[in-house]
Amino acid sequence: MSTGSLLAADLVIAVLATAGWLGGGAASAARRRRLTLGFAAVALLATLARAVTIVALARAGWWFAAEKVVVAAPLSLAALLVAGVRLLRPPADIRSAAVALLFAGYAGSGALLVTLLHGYPVSPGAALLAVAGVAAATTVSWRVLGPRPSPVVSRAAVGVAVAALVTGTGLAAAPDAVREVPHEHEYRDTGAVGEPTRRFTLTAGTATVRVSGRDVAAWAFDGQVPGPELTADVGDVLEVTLRNRDIARGVTLHWHGYDVPNGQDGVPGVTQEAVPPGQEFVYRFRADQAGTYWYHTHAVSDVGVRMGLYGVLVVRPAPVTGVDVTVPVHTLAGLTLPQPRTEQVEAGVPVRLRLINTDSTTHRYALAGTAFRVAAIDGSDLRGPTPAVETAVLIPAGGRYDLVFTAPATPVALFVDGRAVWSTGPVSTATGSWPVLDPLGYGAGAPAPWARFDREFTVVLDRGLDLRGLLPRYAHTVNGAAAPDIPAQVVRLGDIVKFTVVNRSLVVHPWHLHGHHVLVLARNGAPATGSPLWWDSFDVRPGDVWEVAFRADNPGAWANHCHNLPHADAGMMLHLMYR
Amino acid sequence: MRKALVVASLLLLVAFALQFVFAAVGAFTKPADESAYTLHSITGMAVIPVLTLLTILLAALARAPGRVVGMAVLPLGLVVLQALLAMFANAFTDAAGASTPIGLTVAGLHAVNGIVAVHVVVGLHRAARQLADPAPAAAARVVVREGEPA
Repeated sequence: MSTGSLLAADLVIAVLATAGWLGGGAASAARRRRLTLGFAAVALLATLARAVTIVALARAGWWFAAEKVVVAAPLSLAALLVAGVRLLRPPADIRSAAVALLFAGYAGSGALLVTLLHGYPVSPGAALLAVAGVAAATTVSWRVLGPRPSPVVSRAAVGVAVAALVTGTGLAAAPDAVREVPHEHEYRDTGAVGEPTRRFTLTAGTATVRVSGRDVAAWAFDGQVPGPELTADVGDVLEVTLRNRDIARGVTLHWHGYDVPNGQDGVPGVTQEAVPPGQEFVYRFRADQAGTYWYHTHAVSDVGVRMGLYGVLVVRPAPVTGVDVTVPVHTLAGLTLPQPRTEQVEAGVPVRLRLINTDSTTHRYALAGTAFRVAAIDGSDLRGPTPAVETAVLIPAGGRYDLVFTAPATPVALFVDGRAVWSTGPVSTATGSWPVLDPLGYGAGAPAPWARFDREFTVVLDRGLDLRGLLPRYAHTVNGAAAPDIPAQVVRLGDIVKFTVVNRSLVVHPWHLHGHHVLVLARNGAPATGSPLWWDSFDVRPGDVWEVAFRADNPGAWANHCHNLPHADAGMMLHLMYR
Repeated sequence: MRKALVVASLLLLVAFALQFVFAAVGAFTKPADESAYTLHSITGMAVIPVLTLLTILLAALARAPGRVVGMAVLPLGLVVLQALLAMFANAFTDAAGASTPIGLTVAGLHAVNGIVAVHVVVGLHRAARQLADPAPAAAARVVVREGEPA
């Protein structure tokens, strides 16, 4: 069972246990003896099962089990003791067991809420608030259900509730000791990159574009979605003038996967101000990385990219030989781009398909009719790629795969989530059941370039209640905090930095570090054995633990975030800073 | 206080009814994306929990009998369960993010749980009205008793 399934199973079991105790409490208050015992039996079984899931999660990593061991386990144990002892010899009047069962239910609810609202890192404040809630709810139930508890018991319960409430609130509200959130940046100048050899102008504006025979309101570069494809040769100096015609919320250009100097990275509030309507900004950088990349706005990026402010950037090391196709997949107003295309390709011609996922969620690509090799991922060539056949690839949000093959005499088709997007003729192959390529074991391995790390950071992804803003929100969190309150990761130029990225949540988080490519070291404890993978976007699935490393060789302030852009908007965004 | 309980439980009932409307709004909004359910999730995650807490508080302050307080508390549990079911329905997808039979089954439970919650709130509202205005109920009972010998 994967850790992700364990996380879900553990939650389901916790809900069952809590519902069992609460149901038992209600049934006993209504003097339904058999129903009470039935509910209690369910709760008992679920509690025992939970011991197994918690131990399994702790073995998968302390991050997954911390609050379950420290908060949920003691509360469940207390529930089991109080309710179990009361029901060991069921009283003649089952109603007298109601308070004990309800207490168990409240304890379960408290633990559940801690996991859901502030699971990691374990917070004494959250734990105490849970205890206060349990004590208060139990006291009220006791008074309502009678017979009244003795004054001593009653006062003790109220005392516990108040003490826990006060301490918990104090701990939860106290500002953390160290908060290094840099908010004032001086935007670095480009430095000299030489005379531009390629000049482009991109004008962002609202537009109506035609997709699959429908007029769709979009935000577009030069009135088209995707924006113009920018191509360059290695060694070119690119100059891209961004103009904003009428995007009220501002525009920037971020070169996704291109490790440009910090001032060209296009992150509003970090490397530049967003370009308001009527203004422009000039980006200049040297194209020294070959490969498949894309550009998109980073200002109100969730809405902006979804509405169409993106395009392809391809940098070629040599003139094109054969067929070179870019396939930037996007969902615009519920319609899928690009529209299906058929192209005649003669047998024997080399073909390169540059697959780009510009959406916020993973897409599944399947190439039918030929064997192929994965020549590059995220712009970096793979070492010793071997032919694959009837195998699908999963590309994370923001990621790119270059597939290469020699055109056969028979038709070939590329399917994205089962829909043919590019083909050389009619192909009717069902690709849904194909296995998925695991890049961590693909191609020829090479020894890691580094043996030790100067700096290590752990990034634990989860959901949690964020009360720091104007309105409370159920945020996507990093180490228990949400943007802009996540402490920056501080590195020194030349450091070898290791990230451990852990996903405690139930959804995929495509992780994206700006300005650097990270080398994948291991996933879930298993080292990457295939070709070295230098990625800028990787899917951290529920329960996954990824270890990646990079050399800090590009000074500045860099965004480091989830590329499911609604998640980034909901707090999952932090910064990497050079000291 | 008992009048207030009647009003609060009625408001809660209205909020629950609106949830069904907002779910339909989400389902039929074109193009379909996550933001289609914004009204539904704001009502579900903020308005209903607040109204539920208010109802519980009023039920306790009104010194309602334990059964009525229990009926006021039950929707809170169901609302938490409801949010969890929505989360699970979204979590049980395949690797490419498409829905799976398990996910859709859980999504179905989300609807069933919604119906259960409405029934509980209807019951609560009835009980609250009886509590606020017990005379007609007592009269009705008297009528029955008078009818018995006949």
